[in-house]
Amino acid sequence: MKESRILPLVLVAPALVTVLALFVYPLGFSLVTAFVDKAGAVTLTNFARAFEFYANDILFTLVIIALSTALVGLLAVAIGGYLTLGENPAAVAALRWLYRWPLFIPFVVAAQCMRTFLAKNGLMNNSLVAMGLLDPQQTAGLLDWRGIVITFVWKQLPFVALLVAGAMASLDRTTIEAARNLGAGRPRILVEIVLPQVRQTLLVGLVLSFVTMMSVLSVPIMISGESPTMITVDMAFRINNYGDYGTANALGFISYALTGVAAWFYLKRGISGGGKP
Amino acid sequence: MPGAALDILRLEVGYGSVKVLRGIDLAVEPGAFVALLGASGCGKTTLLRAISGFVSISAGEVLVNGKDISAAPPDKRGMAMVFQSYALWPHMTTAQNIGYGLKLRRMPREAIQRRVEEMLAMLKLDGLGDRMVTQLSGGQRQRVALGRALAINPDILLLDEPLSNLDARIREEVRHEIKALQQRLGITAIHVTHDREEAMVMADRIVVMDAGRIAQQGAPEDVYNRPVSAFVAGFMGAGNVIRLHARPSGEGLAIAAGPYNSGAQVAAAALGPGIDPAYTGPVLAHFRSEAAELGAAIQGLDDTLMLQGQVAQASYPGGHYRYAVAVGDLKVIVDAPDRLAVGEAVGVHLPVKDLHLFPDDGRGNAPPPPQPEQRRFS
Repeated sequence: MKESRILPLVLVAPALVTVLALFVYPLGFSLVTAFVDKAGAVTLTNFARAFEFYANDILFTLVIIALSTALVGLLAVAIGGYLTLGENPAAVAALRWLYRWPLFIPFVVAAQCMRTFLAKNGLMNNSLVAMGLLDPQQTAGLLDWRGIVITFVWKQLPFVALLVAGAMASLDRTTIEAARNLGAGRPRILVEIVLPQVRQTLLVGLVLSFVTMMSVLSVPIMISGESPTMITVDMAFRINNYGDYGTANALGFISYALTGVAAWFYLKRGISGGGKP
Repeated sequence: MPGAALDILRLEVGYGSVKVLRGIDLAVEPGAFVALLGASGCGKTTLLRAISGFVSISAGEVLVNGKDISAAPPDKRGMAMVFQSYALWPHMTTAQNIGYGLKLRRMPREAIQRRVEEMLAMLKLDGLGDRMVTQLSGGQRQRVALGRALAINPDILLLDEPLSNLDARIREEVRHEIKALQQRLGITAIHVTHDREEAMVMADRIVVMDAGRIAQQGAPEDVYNRPVSAFVAGFMGAGNVIRLHARPSGEGLAIAAGPYNSGAQVAAAALGPGIDPAYTGPVLAHFRSEAAELGAAIQGLDDTLMLQGQVAQASYPGGHYRYAVAVGDLKVIVDAPDRLAVGEAVGVHLPVKDLHLFPDDGRGNAPPPPQPEQRRFS
């Protein structure tokens, strides 16, 4: 009897220890550090400094991530919609084969690729000039907030599109045929019949995508390190240049708060969906 | 508004190299109720989907009121379909489901509301307009699906086994309701089913399909009483098959006496379309279990064929007894009012007018009995 009570604990212990040591402890530590000064006294000066220096960057981060999330959602629905409703088998097969590739490319590599692609004399502009679509004098680099958004969307789109296309594929096809039969065109079917039925999956994909993008450091650093920039860059800067863990952790706390709102949406959906992820 | 005329000319459909429909010709007059009847895989659902535009055709034409619509996409054909799974939109209420087709036709909101109320009343769904369709029972969902299709006043109503998911009692009720509605509204209806009785009760015309072709079409009584082939006879319920020998005699066919059967004379008038009165050779005789009578194993009248057999199995399905009677190596099913013991020697008396005779081409003893279709994959 005694053995059967200990055994489950033994089995769960490695996972529990890993989570406690590598996740709960550092998280708790950084949260606490955000509220104490170097002498160990409780204070809000870290937050005051974070807002004083980086209010613009916080807003910039939020706008970039929100815009990227919105674009990811829009394009994921378009891809999923074409995969589900497309009538050209060759085009559907080509899209199905192509759209997942960025999933396998790390953020840092994606950012590096985008640097060479989006720069003033990058591959994109050179190609446009070579095709005669752009005058060499008119070329402009996109290595600023636009580059960050493009990279985020390029990298996160396959993940959300994968979830959304999967949900669309598992819909009862006859619900789509019934709408067509009554006279609905394909764009209308996508918006009025398909999308409402996969709304929850899309929301989950976007929340997870939002949280992932909030935590990326390589992309803003490599695409556009100049001000304004994202708060992950500011955190790295405070630590690397000043050893200022207090302000960095205050920025971290703000980032938790932002992702916390997204997580709240996710959990709320999880509860209403009967605990499914 | 009267329904539209539908004409199908030399229609062929294939999935890859497999031909599913092999030259279908069918003319449906306005306001008719036609049932496409056949076993699983015979092509009846494919034919319906080709008419609605969900399956592209490889040859032939589909004409509505004389106009070729073969190349039109499903949303431009003006037909309304009721699906086997109902295909209701789970994120909409009953009223939204019924009114969707009207919304697509840009009807004003008040007019949609009026029409939806009208449909709800007609289909006895009053008060359920605001309920989500996921909260409705099977029978109610079926009515919503029908209401959604009828709301747009379609010229042609396509019904893809719409009753197969209902329980038996509700199914009988809904059969009559659909038929009555179709007659009242004068819509042309094409109904796919594997259920013979359902087709007989609902349709003005039955089209029996087999292996991508029309095996026979005609009024229900015609197809039931005068099947043109052994397949149709078997599918229409004449599932008992015995092998006999026939030769011309007088104005009909004489059936020779065999080791287990008496001889009999079949008048030319009693011969169905499946056999020539001048035919000589082996024949397959199909008959229904309720056509035969059980009695003493003695030779009866000239217009009655008698089979000598032995009761092999007995059951009571209700109202009468059902016996499997062994006749030589064969077994035939016969319904009779009296109780008999297993092993008892009996005579199976068959009025020759109830025999459906077909030349025996040696391909086999009997067509496969019709199986109820559980699920359709297409």
